Amino acid sequence: MTSAQIEIQLIAALVAIACALPGTFLVLRKMAMISDAISHAILPGIVLGFFITHDLNSPILIVLAAITGVITVVLVEFIQKTGLVKEDTAIGLVFPALFSIGVILIAKNANDVHLDIDAVLLGELAFAPFDRLLIGGTDFGPKSLWVISCILLISLILLFLFFKELKLSTFDKGLATTLGFSPIILHYGLMTVSSITIVGAFDAVGAVLVVALIIAPAATAYLLTDDLKRMLVLSCIFGVLSAILGYWIANFLDASIAGSMTTVLGLVFLLVYLFAPKQGVLSNFFKERQQRIEVSLLVFLLHLQNHTEEKERHVNHLREHINWHKVQAKTVLELASKNNLVKISENIVSLTDKGQEFTDEALKYITTNKVTAIEELKNRFFLFRG
Amino acid sequence: MTKKHPAIQIDDLTVAYDYKPVLWDIDLVIPDGVLMAIVGPNGAGKSTLIKAILGIIEPIAGSVQVFGEPYKKQVDKVAYVPQKGSVDWDFPTTALDVVMMGTYGSLGWIKRPGQKEKKAALEALEKVGMLEFKSRQISQLSGGQQQRIFLARALVQSASIYLMDEPFQGVDATTEKAIINILKELRQAGKTLIVVHHDLQTVPEYFDWVTFLNVKGIASGPVKDIFNDDNLTKTYGINYKVAVNK
Repeated sequence: MTSAQIEIQLIAALVAIACALPGTFLVLRKMAMISDAISHAILPGIVLGFFITHDLNSPILIVLAAITGVITVVLVEFIQKTGLVKEDTAIGLVFPALFSIGVILIAKNANDVHLDIDAVLLGELAFAPFDRLLIGGTDFGPKSLWVISCILLISLILLFLFFKELKLSTFDKGLATTLGFSPIILHYGLMTVSSITIVGAFDAVGAVLVVALIIAPAATAYLLTDDLKRMLVLSCIFGVLSAILGYWIANFLDASIAGSMTTVLGLVFLLVYLFAPKQGVLSNFFKERQQRIEVSLLVFLLHLQNHTEEKERHVNHLREHINWHKVQAKTVLELASKNNLVKISENIVSLTDKGQEFTDEALKYITTNKVTAIEELKNRFFLFRG
Repeated sequence: MTKKHPAIQIDDLTVAYDYKPVLWDIDLVIPDGVLMAIVGPNGAGKSTLIKAILGIIEPIAGSVQVFGEPYKKQVDKVAYVPQKGSVDWDFPTTALDVVMMGTYGSLGWIKRPGQKEKKAALEALEKVGMLEFKSRQISQLSGGQQQRIFLARALVQSASIYLMDEPFQGVDATTEKAIINILKELRQAGKTLIVVHHDLQTVPEYFDWVTFLNVKGIASGPVKDIFNDDNLTKTYGINYKVAVNK
């Protein structure tokens, strides 16, 4: 690896972490789309800042852009509070307006300078190592590395200090108010940090793709954990992983770094969404299927217990009378025999002693509505699950 | 508190949403040490009254005093049990952690909860019969269990006044009994409890004080004196028997 490559990956990883931290709280607050609004609406702030400083990494530019970001949030909430439009509509009204002001400003005044809409929208990480921080002729590394490091450090300090407050006001705004932690201060604090982070990250991934870095890692982590701290850590891991992997894929394909980073983020989410052990699509599918079969089994056993007459216990009766499909009847019958709950002789099904015992106990729990006890019962009696 | 102030004194309180008053000129004195129900039809402003006392909603007129001082100076004396539906139970946290949130008020900004707070939370969990569920993710709890968690969270605040917004909503008979027993225990310990309540039938059994509310304050006093046909009809606009049987 060349030093430029290392620098690019370092910047990408730090940007990913800086985005994942506020992203986790935005996702939990169901405010993910406000990051989209901020990321677009900061454009006029960036442009104005650039006119003043002629430097995309200047602190003044970052401050101006962050202020525009907070103004976006205020405007969205103001429009929403009138009660005439819903939040998503308010977001959709505010950010294109601000964004278009930025576009016009660039078109009218910045044609001859190094600021084009592509760079703002998509970023160009590959150029980041060329813009060096030189103090008294000494090279201190790429400027954007310093910028994002400072932003990340501020984020981390704030998160460390106000973790408890952020958690409380995200979970229960009402309680936060009554305990004297102003949710409004915390809300605008989070919005300010988000705005600053988006401005800092736009150099790397641009104003549009930064949304992916904010939302995707948090959404992925949310599928895997029940613990807020772990969710924060996982978000960072997913962000960094996608950033580095994305960089190498871009390198290999000779494509846009930001584009392939975002693609990897999407793929990682898709994988977790499908295969997450507790809440993934596949695991849910199998869990539901198992539940369905086991409930049918219980219905079947109760039926056997209720009926001593042979015609009610004939194998074919299951299909005809209980109104099951052939496949399901077969699956249930097989499961029952595998677990030694029933025996079949000459196509007549009857409960074994074990089956009798299981059914009696299950019936007791069903009538007293003890769902968890039924699960324990299954664990005790079943050799094979549905 | 050494002076004899009522637990809560409300003067001329008016609250409006979009300039439409939902609470109109409420005067209410809640004495120290009562177990009080707030009853009234839907839209009577019961929850709003509680939120106004707590400063979650800004009134457009009037004042609220807690032990003779504004609420903001008495934050640590008041615990709040919101409606269960007011939070997102998919939030990534455990039962114990939610109960610990009750200790945040006494910790103040920045300071983290430690062993002392954890111990208090575990004790509160035990009190509401939820100790075995302490590590359970909160979405994995039943409605009644979630309500108990909220109650435990209020208990760790060790406040003097408890404000509860429909703590019996959607809980089974066992949980309801368990909750009311804890409320009665708290009253015996000299606490003041203010409960938004829906089931008129249980008012005389559970409470010793009652406030009838329907946008305006109708009546407030001891259950045995004022829980009668007349006030119920004034509040609900229909016959008492009909109201009770609803």
